[in-house]
Parts: sequence; structure tokens; C-alpha cells
Amino acid sequence: MKAKHVRPGEYGAVFKYVLLLPAVLWVVAFTFVPLIFVIHYSLANYVLGLGITDYVGLENYADVLASDRFWHSIMVTAAYVAISVPIEVVLGFTAAWLVNLGAPWSYGFRTVIGTPLFTMEVAIGYLGVTLFSSQGGLVPAVLGLAGVHVPWLSTAWGGIAAAILLDIWRWTSFVFVIVLAGLAGISSDLYDAAILDARNHWQVMWRLGVPLAWPVTTIAILLRTVECLKVFAIPYALTTGGPGTSTEVFSAMDYLTTVQFFNFGQGSAMGVIFLVMVAALLTVFFKQMRKRLA
Amino acid sequence: MTNILWLRASLISKVVVYVLLTLAVIFTLLPFVWAFINSIKTSTATFEPGAFIPFITFQPTLDSWHNVLSDPQAINAFISSIVVSVGTTAVALILGVPAAYALARFQFPIGSSDIALWFLSQRVLPPAVVLVPFYLLMVYLQLIDTWTGLIFCYSAFNLAFAVVIMRDIFRDVSTEIEDAAKVEGATPWQIFWKISLPLSVDGLVVTAVLIFAFTWNEALFAAALTSQSATTFSALVLASRSTRGVDFNIAAVNTLIGIIPPVVLYFFVQRYLARGLSFGAVKG
Repeated sequence: MKAKHVRPGEYGAVFKYVLLLPAVLWVVAFTFVPLIFVIHYSLANYVLGLGITDYVGLENYADVLASDRFWHSIMVTAAYVAISVPIEVVLGFTAAWLVNLGAPWSYGFRTVIGTPLFTMEVAIGYLGVTLFSSQGGLVPAVLGLAGVHVPWLSTAWGGIAAAILLDIWRWTSFVFVIVLAGLAGISSDLYDAAILDARNHWQVMWRLGVPLAWPVTTIAILLRTVECLKVFAIPYALTTGGPGTSTEVFSAMDYLTTVQFFNFGQGSAMGVIFLVMVAALLTVFFKQMRKRLA
Repeated sequence: MTNILWLRASLISKVVVYVLLTLAVIFTLLPFVWAFINSIKTSTATFEPGAFIPFITFQPTLDSWHNVLSDPQAINAFISSIVVSVGTTAVALILGVPAAYALARFQFPIGSSDIALWFLSQRVLPPAVVLVPFYLLMVYLQLIDTWTGLIFCYSAFNLAFAVVIMRDIFRDVSTEIEDAAKVEGATPWQIFWKISLPLSVDGLVVTAVLIFAFTWNEALFAAALTSQSATTFSALVLASRSTRGVDFNIAAVNTLIGIIPPVVLYFFVQRYLARGLSFGAVKG
């Protein structure tokens, strides 16, 4: 497949670099240069106002790795991603499949279901406070009618669950929009053929829809995972990490360490550690995805 | 376009589909309705148990709307957000689309999918990690608290979307058309600009909307890299916690105002989304 698309670079020898290089340089200047700074800071003792006072080797790293708060935030982030992303993918895919059937009014359904993608996460986090608050919150009030009482914002797991629910609300629409675009690209002839030897609708979805939409879905899963690992605004606005630091995600902790406490050394070191862990995870993830694509 | 599956579906299947879609719509709309109800409460009423129905369980007021709309800082932030999001989208596309085309059409010493992955890899970087170096970089470039500074940062972050999505879209443009143009004597630039790009407009629009929405949403960098004149709307909302505790009725107004520009954009480009992108998937 690759060979069909990529042609020998007979006339494009210089042209192709003219097209590619500005983007590469831009990314290098605005993300990789700062990253080098981060690595630099991570090896140093940085005092606000004085700058780097001395180099401490791997001491920042040792401090971070020995910190319970760091590992706790990693666990919270991991749980957050592991729960919300699969749910978002399943819900988003199903919704896209249903809308793609083209039933009357699907245009309206499509419009509404895609809307949360365009909201501001910070605002949604604050809205979540009023949704889940035990005082006058909508969710506890509705659940209360059914006799269910969940301590949403007063316990760690309740706070994480509330943040995940908001995340699902906000980001299912992303999977939805991407998968829907992918499904629309499937030729109608394929449905005609599939319907002949499938017993029912759901079989067509499993045998035809899922395999054909898999590459697009892979992109959605990948992008969602990458974004979700950086999650900040929703849980931070919702719980500020509380009670205590029990619902603190990684980005929130790193943000507080650097911006609030100006501990650039440790903040940078934890960033580097996090980056290494994420890179390892994504490498494994990508190998698996490629195998299935092949 | 109605799918054959729908035409052939049994009545029960059709009912199930509508029930599921209706549930999805209710789930989607409920927070918006709740935001609206909150926006017409006083700040004390936002935590009053049972204050759910305007006029009946609480007295509605437009004070918070009035507060936000008459606040020059909020208006300014709103304008900032629009300028920064449009600027970012433009810069990311101008840089990213040619790169995506190059990766889709030409061979490089390194595999083109590996280069695309490299672009994507910088999205892995949590913003909190690079906040400090960016701050210092912006101070050095004298771009702190400016639209330009934010546009530079955001365009670099969002370039990956332009590259990864558009690369796959260009791969779907038939090379035969390009080959024909080449035989006619078109230069590589003409082929890109006059043939492949117009054929990829659908994908371009979708990419633009996604970048716009991502930029619009970003709050952490905006909060750190601006202080007054270039503060964006999302940064303003984020900051509402530190200044005076959160007035949740104001936050609700902000939620609703904050979705207007991207949603308007989304309505306009809806039809492009439906035409189908394969993101590199095999088409039938």
C-alpha cells in the first residue's frame, strides 16, 4: 500500500524538503528546544530570582522517584486514562455508527452529539462542581430520588469518578466526530454486499463496520490516549486535587510544583520521568496497533 | 444519505436506534441546560438544595449575564481567544499542510510514517512540563502577554494534527491525476497547489476546526504566558478560582458564552464532516 502512494523522488528532490522543513524547524524551535531546557533544569538546583545555583546531578530524579505524591498522581492519571478512554471509544464509535445509518433527523443528532467537543474544559470542570455538589447539585439530587447516595466530591474515588464522567461527556464527541468521518468514507456497495450474508444489523456492524473503521478508530484511540495522559483542566477545576491531594493528576501536580512552588528542578525532573514512561507506553501501544493493521 | 442498513432494518431495530440516539442527545444536552439554569441564579442560589426550576424553586435573574457582558476584561479575553485561535489555525495549516503533502508523496531517508509519528510525539509532552522553559523563551523573545507569543506556541503544539490528518488525506488523492498533470508539464508546486490541495478541501476544513477547538480550549499556557492584555477566555475562566473563589453562576455564563464561536464554526462545516475522510483507511 505504501509503495503505491509514495513515488520515487525524481523531481521532488529539493521541493519535498522545502515543503517539509519549515514545519520541522517550527516544532524543533517551539517544543524540542524547551524540552532540552527541561532536561537541563532537571539536573540543577533552581532558585527563583537567582536562576541555577548549582548542578545536583540526579538528585531531583531521586527525590521525585521517592515521592509518594508523585506515584499517587501517576496512579490517579493511569486509572483516569484506563477508565475514560475505552468508554469514550465504545460510546463514540456506537454513536457514530448509529448516526451514520442516515435515519431521518440524523443531521440534528450529529450536530448535538458533536457539540461537547467545542466546550472549554475548565468551564466544564467548574460546571461539574455544581452538578456533583452535595449541596444543591443536580446529580446527587436525581440519584437521591432513587435512594442512591454517592459521596462525589468528598472522597477520592467519588471525585475521580465525577471527573471521569465529565471527561466522557466532553471527549466522546471527539471519537464520534473522527469515527463518523471515517464511516462516511465507506462505499455503499460494501453495505449492499454485507447485508446479503449477514443475519442481522449488529452482525454487519461487527463484520463490516468495525474492521473498515478500525484504522480511523486507531487514530482516535491514539490521540485520545495521548491527550488524556496530559489531563489537567477538568479534574483540576473540579476538585483542585482534593480532598487533600487524593485526586491529583500528574499535570496538576507538576503545575503546582513548578508554577506555585517554583521548584523548577523537581518539576522538570518529574516531567522527564513522565515523558519516558509515556514514550515507553506509546511504543508498545503502536507496535500492537501496527500488527493489527498489517 | 440514507444507509441501506437503515432501509432494510426491522421496526424494532429502528426503534432501538432512535432510543439510543435520543439518550445520547439527552446526555449531551443536560449539562448545557444545567449551565443555563445556573447562569440565571444568584451566586448563593447555586448551592441551594432543590433550586432546579426557574420561577418555581428559585427567582431567576440576569445579573450574572449582565456582569460578564459588561466586564471589559471578559470582552477583551473573548476577542483574544478568537484572534489567537484563528491565528493558530492559520499558522498550523500553512506550515503543516505542505509538510503533510511532502510526507504523503515523496520518499525521505527516514520513513514518512516515522516522521509523522515524530510530529505526533511532541503532543505527548504535558504542557505543565514545558511551562517554565516556554515562559523564559517568551520573555527572551519579548512575546510575553502577546497574541503572537501564544500563536507561536499553539501552532507548534497543533502542527501534529495538521501533519498527521492531512498526510492521510493526501494519500487518498489519486496519484494518476497528478501524473497526468506532470505529463502536461505542471511544476511540483502547481500540482500541490492547484490539484491536490483543492481535492483535499474537506479534510482541510475538518483539520482547521479541530485545531481551532483545541486552541480555544487551552487554558494552562494561556494563563502562564499572559497577564492582562492577551489573556484568553479560557485563561480568564481558569483564573476565576484564584481571584475571588469561584462564582459558579458566572462560570456557567462563561461556559455558555465560551462555546459560541467554535459551535458556530462547527455548524458551518458540518457538511464537510459528512462527506467522509478515511484518515488513511482503505476505501471500498
